[in-house]
Amino acid sequence: MLLLGLDTSTRRVGIVLANERGMIGRVELGGTADTTPPRHAETLAPAIAWCCERCGVELTQVSAIAVGIGPGMFSGLRVGVTTAKVLAQSLRVPVIPIPSLDLLAYPLRYSRRLVVATIDARRHELYWAIYLQVPGGVQRVSEYELGTPDDLVAELEARGEDALVCGDGSLRFADAFVPLGSRVELAGPAHASPSLSALAELALARYEREEFCAPSEVLPMYLRQSDAELAWNRKGR
Amino acid sequence: MVVSRVRVLGIETSCDETAAAVVDDGRQVRSSVVASQADLHARYGGVVPEIASRAHVELICDVIEQALVEAGSSLHELDAVAAVRGPGLAGALLVGVSAAKAISLASRLPYVAVHHHEAHLYAAMIEDPQLEPPLVTLIVSGGHTLLIAMDGHGRYRVLGETVDDAAGEAFDKVARFLGLGYPGGPAIDRLAREGDPEAIRFPRPMRAEGHDFSFSGLKTAVVQYVRKHPEADVADVAASFQAAVVDVLVDKLLAAARETGIDTVVAGGGVAANSVLRERLLDLAVAGEVRVVLPSVALCTDNAAMVAAVGAYRLAADGPTPLEAPVVPNLRLV
Ligand SMILES: [Zn+2]
Repeated sequence: MLLLGLDTSTRRVGIVLANERGMIGRVELGGTADTTPPRHAETLAPAIAWCCERCGVELTQVSAIAVGIGPGMFSGLRVGVTTAKVLAQSLRVPVIPIPSLDLLAYPLRYSRRLVVATIDARRHELYWAIYLQVPGGVQRVSEYELGTPDDLVAELEARGEDALVCGDGSLRFADAFVPLGSRVELAGPAHASPSLSALAELALARYEREEFCAPSEVLPMYLRQSDAELAWNRKGR
Repeated sequence: MVVSRVRVLGIETSCDETAAAVVDDGRQVRSSVVASQADLHARYGGVVPEIASRAHVELICDVIEQALVEAGSSLHELDAVAAVRGPGLAGALLVGVSAAKAISLASRLPYVAVHHHEAHLYAAMIEDPQLEPPLVTLIVSGGHTLLIAMDGHGRYRVLGETVDDAAGEAFDKVARFLGLGYPGGPAIDRLAREGDPEAIRFPRPMRAEGHDFSFSGLKTAVVQYVRKHPEADVADVAASFQAAVVDVLVDKLLAAARETGIDTVVAGGGVAANSVLRERLLDLAVAGEVRVVLPSVALCTDNAAMVAAVGAYRLAADGPTPLEAPVVPNLRLV
């Protein structure tokens, strides 16, 4: 079985090819230190072609397509999720959608602390979710949230446990965590983007359990309504 | 110019229609599927870009699948996949372009990026398969008001455009002001049938001044009139406003034909679905002043058949577009 995985929930464009024995290859372009505008729409399709070519595989050999569905940068998610859906539909294979926050938390599953995954939501906000170590992985112990760095700090204060915070949201708002002192550690640039090896590993396990979706059903996880809807709902109340 | 033995899948997501179509040889429509989002945007009185972008992601797979099924065609029987790369809403364009690139990757088909306005020009070629340039085309919709001379395939001159509101935007704004709902064009068209187009003499902005358009002042004139005459019959207001817009559009199109010496005129875009504009253009043809090619309403409003049509010509003329090519929300025709 051959799996193609994509994640474009952050500035980083990520592509991974894997089979049941592990990773075959991956491409990562763009990142937190890149100050040029993100170019998901220009980068993703050619990079998929290049990755397949260099790994000596054909897209027609792919059995399933995994995709990080966010939350994250809306334009990136539109490109990644649309590409995954339409590729899967064209190849007549299923899609395995996985929240991008889960992909950040999974590589930190050996920590006994709370694992807090964050993604920069712009407008001085971040998306986050909180996880706990369980045998073989992590278990999410919060909702997928959207809020200010102060909201997250207050949440961690209330929980009163040691925490390991990862993702580009925590890098962007590193100063906000200072008041929590030594109880909170930031995981740093190595854990800034949703992990592609986690995407492959989690998706392969779900593929085995046949936990997948028809391409047309797969949608980004936005967590934030459009401004027009927000204004409408405020007016309606 | 004839393109033959080419089957193209077209994808259009530049505004609030999610559309896919299969067209043979740039002229024969095998299928054309349009999922309108008008209902989603109605409460906001206009297209909300973020809502449109999200709806495209939801609809894109089903629309493409339906276009292929209705065409009786598999991906393997296609020769290219075309999508609009601009102008349009950035988030919306990303969906159609990403979908087209994905199909190109999966099926090893050439990808062809096309211009939305150029697609509107080629709607006329579908309507009249013998049609060849030179043509003068009026493209009028909620997003654009353009007068274009098409001297040959791929050879265009933009003669005029709006200096403020698009024609369709004026319909939407006046309809909203009159409480007629969204989209405004069909609402005004319907109500105007019960009104007198000569009841109120609204201005015909820039009617005899060059090829550019201006509709903002006309909209203001309608607002001022209704504020001053609250007793005015809404149907008369709608009919008189519509008459003013149509007068300007028809005069400008005729003047452009005379000045360029081109005797075939074409209309496209959502406003070209307006019944009075269509009658007036057909009258011109009957009077023998110009030859008029008026695409069916389904080909005037945004659709993907026109995208597939122009895709066939662009592929023949320029070859495939690289997958690195970006979307260009403010893309110009020339
Ligand atoms: Zn249009």
